[in-house]
Amino acid sequence: MSETTTDYRKYLEPRTLARIASLDLRARLVVEGLMSGMHRSPYQGISVEFAQHRQYVPGDDIRHVDWKVFGRSDKIYLKQYQEETNLQLVLVVDASESMGFGSVTAGSHSWTKYDHATAIAASLAYMAIQQQDSVGLAIFDQVLSRYFKPSNAPAQWKLVVQELQQVPRWNKTNTGKILDQIAERLTHRSLVVILSDFFDDLDSIKKGLRHMRYRKHEVMMFQVLDPQEVEFPFEEVTLFKGLEELGELLTEPRSLREGYLEQLRLSTEQLRKTCRGMQIDLQRMNSGDSLDVALSAFLANRAASIK
Amino acid sequence: MYVAAHLHCLPPTAYYLLASAFISPWFFWAGLVAVSIPIAVHLLNRRRFKTVKWAAMEYLLQAMRKNRRRLKFEQWLLLAVRCALLLLIGLALARPLGCENNTLASLAGQRNGLHVFVIDNSYSMAYEAERPGARTHLDQARLIAKGMMDRLVRGGESVVILTAGAPAAAVIGKPTYSLDACHGAIDGIEQSYGATDLAGALARATDIARGESRQPNKFFYLITDGTRSAFEGSSAEALKAAGRDLQSAFGDAEHVHVFNLGRQNQWNQAIVDLKPAGNIITTKFSADFTAVARGFGAGPDAILQWQIDEKDVPGNATLKLDASTPPVMLANRPLKEGGPHVVTANLAGDDRLRIDNGRHRVINVASEIPVLIVDGDRSNQGLSGSSAFLAEALLPSKREVDSGPSRSSSAFTPRVIGDQDLGEREVLSQYRAVILTNVGRLPENVADQLQVYVEQGGVLALFMGPKVDGDEYNRVLLGGKRQLLPGKLIEKISASAVNKDAFYFDFKPEADLSTYLSVFKGESNSGLGTARVFQYWRLSVANPTTERVLNYLPAGQNLASPAASQQNDSAEDPAITVHAAGKGRVIFFSTTANADWMSFSGKPMYPVLIQELFSGSISAGDAWMNINVGDSVEVPTSLGMTAAPTLVDSGKRDVPVFAVSAAEKQTVYRSQPLRRPGVYRLSTGNQTYPIAVNLPPEEADVRTIPDPAIRKALGDLGYTVHEDQVPAEALVANTGRDLGWSIMFAVLLLAAFECFVAMRFGHYRRNVAQSALTA
Repeated sequence: MSETTTDYRKYLEPRTLARIASLDLRARLVVEGLMSGMHRSPYQGISVEFAQHRQYVPGDDIRHVDWKVFGRSDKIYLKQYQEETNLQLVLVVDASESMGFGSVTAGSHSWTKYDHATAIAASLAYMAIQQQDSVGLAIFDQVLSRYFKPSNAPAQWKLVVQELQQVPRWNKTNTGKILDQIAERLTHRSLVVILSDFFDDLDSIKKGLRHMRYRKHEVMMFQVLDPQEVEFPFEEVTLFKGLEELGELLTEPRSLREGYLEQLRLSTEQLRKTCRGMQIDLQRMNSGDSLDVALSAFLANRAASIK
Repeated sequence: MYVAAHLHCLPPTAYYLLASAFISPWFFWAGLVAVSIPIAVHLLNRRRFKTVKWAAMEYLLQAMRKNRRRLKFEQWLLLAVRCALLLLIGLALARPLGCENNTLASLAGQRNGLHVFVIDNSYSMAYEAERPGARTHLDQARLIAKGMMDRLVRGGESVVILTAGAPAAAVIGKPTYSLDACHGAIDGIEQSYGATDLAGALARATDIARGESRQPNKFFYLITDGTRSAFEGSSAEALKAAGRDLQSAFGDAEHVHVFNLGRQNQWNQAIVDLKPAGNIITTKFSADFTAVARGFGAGPDAILQWQIDEKDVPGNATLKLDASTPPVMLANRPLKEGGPHVVTANLAGDDRLRIDNGRHRVINVASEIPVLIVDGDRSNQGLSGSSAFLAEALLPSKREVDSGPSRSSSAFTPRVIGDQDLGEREVLSQYRAVILTNVGRLPENVADQLQVYVEQGGVLALFMGPKVDGDEYNRVLLGGKRQLLPGKLIEKISASAVNKDAFYFDFKPEADLSTYLSVFKGESNSGLGTARVFQYWRLSVANPTTERVLNYLPAGQNLASPAASQQNDSAEDPAITVHAAGKGRVIFFSTTANADWMSFSGKPMYPVLIQELFSGSISAGDAWMNINVGDSVEVPTSLGMTAAPTLVDSGKRDVPVFAVSAAEKQTVYRSQPLRRPGVYRLSTGNQTYPIAVNLPPEEADVRTIPDPAIRKALGDLGYTVHEDQVPAEALVANTGRDLGWSIMFAVLLLAAFECFVAMRFGHYRRNVAQSALTA
């Protein structure tokens, strides 16, 4: 692996991205970092318009081997096509107060769940725009505060990044209702990617998702959690002040840790069960982990759906 | 250090309770204080917390709701375990010494047993033997006891410490394993100023040894000066019995050790008695005093010096003292002021036991002796009344009586009243004697007053007469709990009724006479032998304290009759008796006070007889002001106090006086036992009384007795004899353990349990979690 590749991959780390203020730049670096780390068989789109030949390397899909050229020259070449797709990607980002929680820091820069979610959203948008796909954006808390119809116009990328960079109002959340609204607004079948912590009423979320699926939209869910939320590493007596007006609790967290993690596990399990029932791909993200997990999951999802 | 220093400030009971339970009791206190640390940390933690804004609050609240009871239980359990851990650490460091029967302590020690030390702290132990590091015998006894204790096994061998100064007392009465506490207790033993109570100390030691039946080995140590007074006193028989019991409780001679600190040539000189020559001292006549000085052992001559009210008086005498030196008299000392005075006799000598070289005596000098005469047949015509002869006899108006055998007669100031005047109008306590003569009937309330009066120290004299109703007297004077007659009046005997001319007193001037008649000794012309009595009341003596002062000869006999000497006294009717009732006395005169029934009242010796009867019976009233070390002062209720009494010793230090309830709902003031000799001062508001506190005279004999005599005095007790030093050979090896290690093992177990519980409750997972995060 070259040094350049190594440099790019470090941009998948949240602690590095936290130091980069521009979301535009973050997304480019993330995608480049991801691609540079992959096998030299970049995803070239699933189109029929021929682009070029390239020499076969072990690991390539032999379905793309140009057998005619092999017959002529005894050399194995792959046919590459210019990507052409009608994918309509809608990024739904939760901007409620709970998403503002973040314990990952890099120097004076903190990395919230919202930062993580927007970085993923921007990266996915970048990848989609690169492939001429349409990208839409919805940012919500209690209400659907921002919504942009999917578009593959070059300016759409700038618009998406600009909106994601806006500092949210940190209100309460109402995911189910928002999903209902988005489902109503989308006129074409779309790939809806929801980025949230899903700290909300599960029945309501379930209802919203059911609506989405009823409208034939494909849904991907990224549950973004902070490392502290996953590990609950507190030891001393702590006053927990609940975000989204959930009151406060003074307790000795050591003794409560087990019970909390159990509740979190139960909740996640229920959400996963719900998603499985609706054939929705749920990916749990740790805001302290590298972003390539999310992007790889997305690409794998896309590949599976094309097959 | 602070705690240790203040441990001695605890009440003695608490101190010894702790000292007997722990080797290092201050660690126990430290453990108790340390218990508060987890509680304080818990409370501080509740106050000092960090604040975290938390997104997943719903899950946290759900977890809290589900686990609230478990969390509380865990927190309390952990708090309890941690408190117990600290307490146990303190307990282990304090090194507790086992349970009540000390079985655990015995098991913990490699050697075990009970060691009972009896330290003689009687005042003869104040003898200054001037040993290195020990001025007195008692100082040396302390060194020996501590030296012996240093050889005991800590935690394995228990100690009891008793003192033999009368009364025997326990310094550490329950076996203790804390040798440090024993050292402190020994240093705290005070020099007693009392006699020796070896029998009592041995009996207590025996009781303790028998009570410790589980102790396999018991040792007894007696540290004494081996003086005659300790071993050959009045308690010799009790001492023998105590010695035999001791042997059975402790075992053979290897278990009984006697340290004899006495020196063969030690000697002492002391004043062992001091008193006035007469019963009553008045301002009208000079008084005589006698002092008994004794020398025990070979000492030089000593000078006896006299003081009255702390002022030297002439009469010093140089004495060659031995154990039988006759009394020395201070004669003809005029005392012009009434009230209490202090007479002191001092020996100016150079002996090694100086505290008994002086003795004090408080005397109550009377300026007059008021006497109340109650006449049942009062008359103003010459000597015709029943009281006339008595008044004349007590205060002669015409005749000179100073030439007679008694000199105190003129101090009497009689007052005559009729029997109807006796009652609530007369305050009896202002009289030293009350005389009832020919009084017919006595109301119950008067009898009650008389009973109280006598019990408080008054003298009641009953003279018979025609008006006396025997049945009424028996009913009233002997009814209830009254003891105002020596026995029941049986019948009135008349000489004419038995065809005789008269009855005669059984008076033989050369025979042994009652102390009341001692002035008539050898006086054949006193008239008592020839006095004629025509009638008298026969009495059946029942009171055991009754002294027959004078009897009647059997009817028809007189001194001239040869049969008289062959008569049995018990067959004779009593003519005059004196018996005790409470603190006072009752004089019973079986015939009249005047010439109605008796011819003696007209004779010259009649006043002398009357005066001697009352002089001998009336208390000087100073007994309560003369007590021995160890006694309490009891303030007579008749003093007429204007304030609650206060008492100070010779060094002006306050001595507590307590009000205690006595019979008849009276409040009596009584001091705590007085421990030091000297002249104390009792203030009753309007008056200050000196109180003389003297040493017991028998303890002055410091001559030692040989070992065989000690052995015999102790009932042939088998023991190992030691001299006045700690024996060189080690009695026991100085190794052993206490329960501290056992408790420490429990501490380790509890600490392991705490770790397990804390882990189980998730108190030690944070590091794992953090490392997982940073990995």
